[in-house]
Amino acid sequence: MEEWDIPQMKREVESLQYQLAINREKSSITVTELVKWIEGCVCEDPFLNPELMRANPWVEKGKCVIL
Amino acid sequence: MAAEKAEMDALKKECDGLRAQIEAARKAVNDGSMSAAASGVASVGRVQLKLRKTLKGHLAKIYAMHWSADSRQMVSASQDGKLLIWDCFTGNKLVAVPLKSAWVMSVAFAPSGNLVASGGLDNICTVYNIKAASPKTLRELDAHTGYLSCCRFLSDTEILTASGDTTCCLWDLETGKQKVIFTNHIGDCMSLALSPDMNTFISGACDSLAKLWDLREGACKQTFSGHTSDINAISFFQSGNAIITGSDDCQCKMYDLRSDQEVICYQDASLNAGVTSLALSSSGRLIFAGYDDFNCHIWDSLKGEKVGVLSGHDNRVSCTGVPDDGMGVCTGSWDSFLKLWN
Repeated sequence: MEEWDIPQMKREVESLQYQLAINREKSSITVTELVKWIEGCVCEDPFLNPELMRANPWVEKGKCVIL
Repeated sequence: MAAEKAEMDALKKECDGLRAQIEAARKAVNDGSMSAAASGVASVGRVQLKLRKTLKGHLAKIYAMHWSADSRQMVSASQDGKLLIWDCFTGNKLVAVPLKSAWVMSVAFAPSGNLVASGGLDNICTVYNIKAASPKTLRELDAHTGYLSCCRFLSDTEILTASGDTTCCLWDLETGKQKVIFTNHIGDCMSLALSPDMNTFISGACDSLAKLWDLREGACKQTFSGHTSDINAISFFQSGNAIITGSDDCQCKMYDLRSDQEVICYQDASLNAGVTSLALSSSGRLIFAGYDDFNCHIWDSLKGEKVGVLSGHDNRVSCTGVPDDGMGVCTGSWDSFLKLWN
């Protein structure tokens, strides 16, 4: 930033003004909703639901593989 | 000269003021915490995965890998000067793409499965048609003035690149020209990730910042700080509202887009190695983070605890990826091998 010229600095000011203007929501709501969203997807996550890993595509089913 | 310096000083002061206002706005909405929100969530317990396959074929360090949207094929890039496309169900190599420049740092599979792209110290993103009888160079995207650190296809006609020249770029593959250039980072861009809805993307850079960009307008919408060194890896949660970063400062962080701030940090006193890569399980509950300590550590994203480790590589884990069907994780290493775990 030390080598910036005036136009670059002006663009940085504009960018920061734009970034300041966004709507920020309360984290008590957003984080709670994020946790709920992730929890809701866990049953469909093969790493966390062993049922889904029954048909494991990466395990050899028999000694020979038909290509 | 004096007038210029005065104007510069005024502008710098304005920037400092704006940054302070942004911090204040963040504090004003910070009325919750992840530890509070996740307090009622059950622990995932110990996550123990088995090594299912070791893919041997590269002759030098592997720098990057990317899953195909079919969750079966995968492309890997090595500084042996080759891209290899693998069938991960059988472990067979399907296609070998010889590279003009061996100094590759990134590779990507197009969602269609028809194209792959790679780039590195040549500063060029080269796109290959792998459905042709033998791999054919479709485009050479040559405009970056620094190394190509990351690339991701939006479709067969658009690709996003991140570069050591501190910019990211959206390219039109039909014309080979730049459509949008994203400038705001003050350090080498190291990684990028597309949002699930494809309207935005995030970038991580050596200025230790992560930035959220509007893909079509080119503007930086949000900037996330907190890391104290290069951000090497970055990923979106499938909800589109949170992101994860991995850094040379040995930490991973989750940032919430809606409240515009960091909500949890993944760090461990015994982990003194930089994070090179990361991937999320399909729900986002698990983070697979590759480190310089030759391991891939598994984190519970909600509890902030280490819940497992993938050990077996003999050198740095340089890349990690979970396919779209979430059925496992692939790690690639400087030891020249790729490993599949689930």
